Amino acid sequence: MDEITYNKNILIFFSYTLGATHMAMKKSNRKPPPIVNLKYRKGELIIKENDYGISIYKIITGKVQIFTHSGDKEIALALLCPGEIFGEMAFLSKDTEVRSASAKAEQDSELEVWHPDLLSQEYDNMPPIIKHITDEALNRLIRMNRLIAQMTSRKEEEKTSGKQQNSGRRHYRKEVDLPCTYRPVGSSSRRRLNGIVKNISLSGANVEIREKTAAKFSYDPGDEFHIDLTLPGDKNVHFTAKVMSSRNPRVSGMLSLGMVFTDMREGTQKDLGFFLMP
Amino acid sequence: MVYSYVVKEETFPDAAVIIQEGIKNDCVYVILEGNVKIKKRISRGQVTLANLKKGTVLGEMAFLDTAEGIRSVSAVAADGPVRVGLLDNQRLIHDYEAVPPRIKYLIKSLVKRLQAANEKLCDIVADTK
Repeated sequence: MDEITYNKNILIFFSYTLGATHMAMKKSNRKPPPIVNLKYRKGELIIKENDYGISIYKIITGKVQIFTHSGDKEIALALLCPGEIFGEMAFLSKDTEVRSASAKAEQDSELEVWHPDLLSQEYDNMPPIIKHITDEALNRLIRMNRLIAQMTSRKEEEKTSGKQQNSGRRHYRKEVDLPCTYRPVGSSSRRRLNGIVKNISLSGANVEIREKTAAKFSYDPGDEFHIDLTLPGDKNVHFTAKVMSSRNPRVSGMLSLGMVFTDMREGTQKDLGFFLMP
Repeated sequence: MVYSYVVKEETFPDAAVIIQEGIKNDCVYVILEGNVKIKKRISRGQVTLANLKKGTVLGEMAFLDTAEGIRSVSAVAADGPVRVGLLDNQRLIHDYEAVPPRIKYLIKSLVKRLQAANEKLCDIVADTK
């Protein structure tokens, strides 16, 4: 076993036993372990999403790719350079202490590894208001990373279906201008609001709604709606769809929702399939 | 605890801009009543990045990234009027000065990562349309 591998194994062991040692050190006031330098070869995994661990890494040389998973796909979140740090999210988010993303060496890299006990006391003595503000930024980042993973994965799926089209695909995304009605899934109110479907495919639709009339409901990514729509030929279709993105198109006062279907009756799928055939 | 830092309350009508992207300003607010949308400009319109509710802090990114202090996103009153509390900036600056350098380094890295994530999401949305 070479020195690097040995050091890494020690560190992995450290990560798994960190909870216990962290507490023990606090009680006994033992000196925190010194900063360790580790080398990783290109492609080597440094931290793994959902694993336990709260060490913080500073890049001395090389580059590190931060990524997350959506299904079996890797979604790149950030490429970090010398001087930048990573692993701080698990440290700052003390409730979970699991990694919210993975990191691997994009090039041969040398990293400085800070044991969290180097920072714990400093962190605990931080003014509560700054801690609170930092927590809010952290939660927002965790949410954004999740959203990026969802949207990238959706784009990949669309690309794949685009490839299928070139190899004889029968359906595609159609530009339309069809009035629809919608209401949130799980809402006790049966009230429906009006929107306009601007384009539709077998996997999702883009729906424009008037911001004023839409104000009753929230349109956060992940929010789900029942949508009813009449296709040309008087075919009534019903589906549920989840908001993936919301943005303001050129027309002011309107909100454009990128949605993916989460449920569709068999009849709807058939009618929509026929409608989308070129 | 956040509320004890409020020095002034302001009310914004529906759709009014509370924080303007691109402007140098590091004031921090807390939403006292109503909803706020966080938006970012792209070449064709704007992308809504988040919908924030009562009790949420606004404008913390420009404050924590003290070197720049430039607003990287806009905050807009949504679904009706919004009442926000302006936090005591001098007191916040004083508290931030007490943060040890290494923790400041972590916080700055976090803010940078959040700014990058916002931009990445905008790129994905712009590319999809």
